[in-house]
Amino acid sequence: MATYSLHLAHLYGDLLNTYGDVGNILALRYYANLMDTDLTTEVISIEQSFDPDQFDLAFFGGGQDYEQMIVSKDIQTKKDGIVKFINDDKPMLAICGGYQLLGHYYIGADGEKIQGIGALDHYTLSQDHHRFIGDITIKNEQTGETYHGFENHNGKTYTGKSEQPLGVVVDGHGNNGEDHQEGAIYKQTYCSYFHGPILTRNGELAKRMLLKALHNKYPDADFSAQEALEIKPTF
Amino acid sequence: MSVRSTLATAAGKSSYWFLHTFLHGGSSLPGKITTAIDPNILKAFGKKYDVVIITGTNGKTLTTALSVRVLKQKYDNVLTNPTGSNMEQGIVTTFITAQKSKRGKTLAILEVDEANVVKVTKYITPIAFVFTNLFRDQMDRYGEIYTTYDKILAGVKLAPEATIIANGDEQIFNSRELPNPIIYYGFNHQLAGDIKAPANTDGLLCPKCNHILHFGFITYANLGDYFCPHCGFRRPTLNYQVNKLTELTPTSSTFEIDHHEYKVMIGGMYNIYNALAAYALGRFLDVSQDQIQTAFEADKKVFGRQEVINVDGKQVTLILVKNPVGLNQVLDMILTDNDPFSFVGLLNANYADGIDTSWIWDGNFEKLKKHAIPAFMTGGERYKDITFRLKVAGVDDPIIEPDLAKVVDKLKTLPTKKVYILATYTAVLQLRKQLAEQGYIKEGMEA
Repeated sequence: MATYSLHLAHLYGDLLNTYGDVGNILALRYYANLMDTDLTTEVISIEQSFDPDQFDLAFFGGGQDYEQMIVSKDIQTKKDGIVKFINDDKPMLAICGGYQLLGHYYIGADGEKIQGIGALDHYTLSQDHHRFIGDITIKNEQTGETYHGFENHNGKTYTGKSEQPLGVVVDGHGNNGEDHQEGAIYKQTYCSYFHGPILTRNGELAKRMLLKALHNKYPDADFSAQEALEIKPTF
Repeated sequence: MSVRSTLATAAGKSSYWFLHTFLHGGSSLPGKITTAIDPNILKAFGKKYDVVIITGTNGKTLTTALSVRVLKQKYDNVLTNPTGSNMEQGIVTTFITAQKSKRGKTLAILEVDEANVVKVTKYITPIAFVFTNLFRDQMDRYGEIYTTYDKILAGVKLAPEATIIANGDEQIFNSRELPNPIIYYGFNHQLAGDIKAPANTDGLLCPKCNHILHFGFITYANLGDYFCPHCGFRRPTLNYQVNKLTELTPTSSTFEIDHHEYKVMIGGMYNIYNALAAYALGRFLDVSQDQIQTAFEADKKVFGRQEVINVDGKQVTLILVKNPVGLNQVLDMILTDNDPFSFVGLLNANYADGIDTSWIWDGNFEKLKKHAIPAFMTGGERYKDITFRLKVAGVDDPIIEPDLAKVVDKLKTLPTKKVYILATYTAVLQLRKQLAEQGYIKEGMEA
């Protein structure tokens, strides 16, 4: 038994789980163990309620078009909970479809507008029969960290004024292939098109999310040992 | 055959001979030359053969090979296409290079890539389709299972009288109303309870009402005795069923279909599905149970996507892995081995492997740690990815050898007599080249 424990909500984990997205949870658990922390996870799917106060972290992955359409309807019922979770400064990672559904809307495979929950101020358009596929490198100008990943998306996302990019594109396409930005950060919510998955190659981000969650849950504890954890390169 | 078709065939034949003789290749180029001359070439061939089309994500090759064996019990001539030649061009090549049959119609059993079904049925009306399964493949190929099924059905639509022989344990094959007669095969080897699939499984929505499906039991991935507690949608009645799993080892499977015992000399639950599909096709074409048993047991040679190689006394099993469901099945299969073995993972990310390595995170490597495996080794161009994958799964210190040229030497230093190597496509090719240079195997990619 570790000294600390964190509980993660895997939003729609049984429906949205493409491209090894589950690796993000495996990486969080791996780094949590190195930080004397147990990470437990719970899938919150359609027709289940989401109580933000039960969770310290959340992960929201991407899926196939069909499953995402089903989720877009159901997630409207969880909107208040998710917005509260974000506003409580709890760390969340949203990838691809999850990223899009946190925004206002995205355009589906047949050109239809699919509603998100507008918790974050971005929207997503589509490309005609084209995807951004390939290795990508970005740099976060605030932290100076460089993130490596693999992008694979049709959507072109445009972020709002309240969002910071996860990074500036060094090599690859990013959110829309136009503004040299990749992903979005709003409060403690991190969004990205990186599959691959993002946290297995970029342990610094996993560490950042875990530390924030630990400080939220244990405000008086001393986490200097956890802060000092060295993240070894995996890529 | 029209004069044009005959001419086209002659042109195709000489190019096949050239390629085969000088380049040791020759899979799809002859087909290209021929179809450039006469696009209706397949139509001419179709009149001379009763055609069966086998398609799906995994298991096409082995199902086709087993079906050919089974049907040879009844037919003198059974034409089939070699592994990997499952696109339009390769299929044309298969017909061109076929030996001429003296008697009337003969049977052709064709492995056809999912997106190429319509390109074949445009010209040829098959008597039957066999559907193996539809899993999420590496997504840089066709994308979604729903899109892939639509591609297959576009081909089926042109042959509404052909019988569909489908995996009944796969929900998507029961999701549309089709005019075709349908025969289902599947598993009924255990009592049904009420379980849900693990979260990281795809295709779990009820096709009728979009609620999450439950299962009486699951054989692997999303295959099993599914039902929807919300609307009552459930697995159809099976026409042919595996009713007992007698013994599963990494090199053989013994099981009962319709209360008759069979043995195939290959391991893996997924290969029992392939045998079951071949059985269902055989029964559909009036091959007897005893004949099928003879067919399964006649040739003891190991086939499929694995190969056993003797490297200085070590029994090295080289297995091709290409997508998460296949990978998980291979992991399950090697863990049925009661002898100690070393585990080697070789990962490349060239186009033929899939340029995105994310799929290894859907592989349940965690289960390896539950067995006492004395040594692990990683390698290939993306050795860092596979090494960290194993590290997260609890494997702390694998031997790391990025250079496949040196992997063969390192194999000899492993502490166990048995070694399992799981490798992606180009890693298999590169390793086989090394093994050939050192005289352990003959050059060339085996099926």
